[in-house]
Amino acid sequence: MAAGRITKDRIARICMVLTTAAVNIVLLLVLLGLFAKSGPVLKQNNLLQLIFSSEWSPLKGQFGLFNFIFGTFTVTFLAIIISAPLCLLTAVYLSEYSSRRLLYWAKLFIDMLAGIPAVVYGVWGVLVIIPLIRDYFAPLFGKAVTGYSLLAGGIVLSIMVSPIIISVLLEIFSSIENELKESSLSLGATKWQTVKHVILKKSLSGIISAVILGTSRALGGTMAVLMVTGNVAVIPDSIFDPIYTIPSLIANNYGEMLSIPLYDSALMFAGLVLLLIILAFNIASRLMLLKYRREV
Amino acid sequence: MEVLDFMKKTALLVLFIFIMSLIACRPAQKHENDSALNGRLIISGAWALYPLAVSWAEEFKEIHPGVKIEISAGGAGKGMADVLSGLVDLAMVSREIYPQEIEQGAFFIPVAVDAVVPTVNHGNPVLGVLKEKGMKKDIFLRLWIKGEKLDWGLIYGQGTVGEINIYTRSDACGAAATFAAFLDKMQEDLQGTGIYGDPGMVTAVRDDRLGIGYNNINFVYDKDTRCPVEGVDVIPVDLNENGILDESENFYSTLDLMVNAVSEGRYPAPPARELYFVSKGKPPEGLAKEFLIYVLAQGQQLNLEAGYVSISEDKIKLALDKLR
Repeated sequence: MAAGRITKDRIARICMVLTTAAVNIVLLLVLLGLFAKSGPVLKQNNLLQLIFSSEWSPLKGQFGLFNFIFGTFTVTFLAIIISAPLCLLTAVYLSEYSSRRLLYWAKLFIDMLAGIPAVVYGVWGVLVIIPLIRDYFAPLFGKAVTGYSLLAGGIVLSIMVSPIIISVLLEIFSSIENELKESSLSLGATKWQTVKHVILKKSLSGIISAVILGTSRALGGTMAVLMVTGNVAVIPDSIFDPIYTIPSLIANNYGEMLSIPLYDSALMFAGLVLLLIILAFNIASRLMLLKYRREV
Repeated sequence: MEVLDFMKKTALLVLFIFIMSLIACRPAQKHENDSALNGRLIISGAWALYPLAVSWAEEFKEIHPGVKIEISAGGAGKGMADVLSGLVDLAMVSREIYPQEIEQGAFFIPVAVDAVVPTVNHGNPVLGVLKEKGMKKDIFLRLWIKGEKLDWGLIYGQGTVGEINIYTRSDACGAAATFAAFLDKMQEDLQGTGIYGDPGMVTAVRDDRLGIGYNNINFVYDKDTRCPVEGVDVIPVDLNENGILDESENFYSTLDLMVNAVSEGRYPAPPARELYFVSKGKPPEGLAKEFLIYVLAQGQQLNLEAGYVSISEDKIKLALDKLR
């Protein structure tokens, strides 16, 4: 009987080791796969030219990704500019000012927000944000536009990344010792002074890492962004102009173009570039969090 | 306790499998010995042909109850890649076949015709004159290829009423490829704000008073009313370029008139287009070949109801010869 129990334990252990290994190997396999598939286009084109050329006409053999990379970064940047301050204020309020009950309900709603599928955000963007920009925002600046724009992508994306940023921030704020807050308050500081001089100061690197985590989420946002940004591969003049992101490029063309070898390869290369950018951001966020934990 | 639990789970699993198999087998068991044909046919490809392919498959399965047909839509290129790599038996393709694909063994048979039409918002400021005069190909070229910023009013010699907002498809698709072919170009040459999918294009044009776009006729016309969907209108093309829409050029008000014009060749191809089934190499005797023969014969009667045009007699004959 006892031997059976121990065998069971061993088997369970081996299974779990194997699944853990499999999960970790996947990333490596994805990288290798993308790299192998990018081979043909890398062989025929200069790497720098692929990344820095703006000329994208695949059927003529031109695979410049610059406008897509630029579009990906600008829409992400805009999303973070919009969402970071909002998330920070929300998280400060929820963790320092609000009642426990409100915190509970707000957390519930934020979690639900995180669970909404991207395509629903996309449809909502088309039905609500696009007309809003076309009929109200853009005319304020004297522009007649379609509404499918960098701004629309930024707004939709900022809402999509907010839940993750807020929940990371809440966690970080809750890890600050109560003694610290109490001693600040007992010295006569107001709540706002405590927030400003103790909480925000103490958790600065944590806040940065939360924002970077949100950024890496936003970089890969596909479906919703695809539906509202207008997908024109140019460098935009203003936030009311359309843009084209790497995830949209892949989603738009992958299904249709599998049968043309070099096109396929160029799309895989775009995927590789995107993955490397996101990995870089993830590692940066990880390092920041490590630094934060050491400081606390 | 543990054993009991295990038994319960097993019983549930068996019950589940039993029910699933009942559901899956029911149609096949109705009349098993009516035909000798059986097996499984797997089809994937263009959204444009998907609804019609489903109708064909339904009818074919009624004739040959031993047959199972699985159809999935995922884009013409995906279907093409699937069929060339041997994953599926037939691909649905809604654009011309590229030479690279023929080199790899793509064998194609036309099975239906549909059309792509330019569309505008129902509240367009010059809708009246637009319907009276139609639009010349040159204007389409200036808009979609040269990317010129034109005013709706100025095209028709009126004052400025608002700049045209040009929409195009962002996803690589048969509709865009066909519309570009009408302008002697490729999809990647089309300018304009890129919208995802046929339904997205309908929404974009329906919501933008100054917008112009293009759609498969199946997405523009309502199957029940046979008229363009609410809020969207079709732009008549001034085919003979005489500056006025003649009686013979005026067939855009209902789906049936439109389908008629396409089948008689009064609406040119492109933007009318053939939809294809593609196999890897000529299909051998068997299910795929039988299905193609059915589609070219009886199957064609389903086309009109589903909003497609039948292949002409000559082309059917050619296709059958090619098959045999």
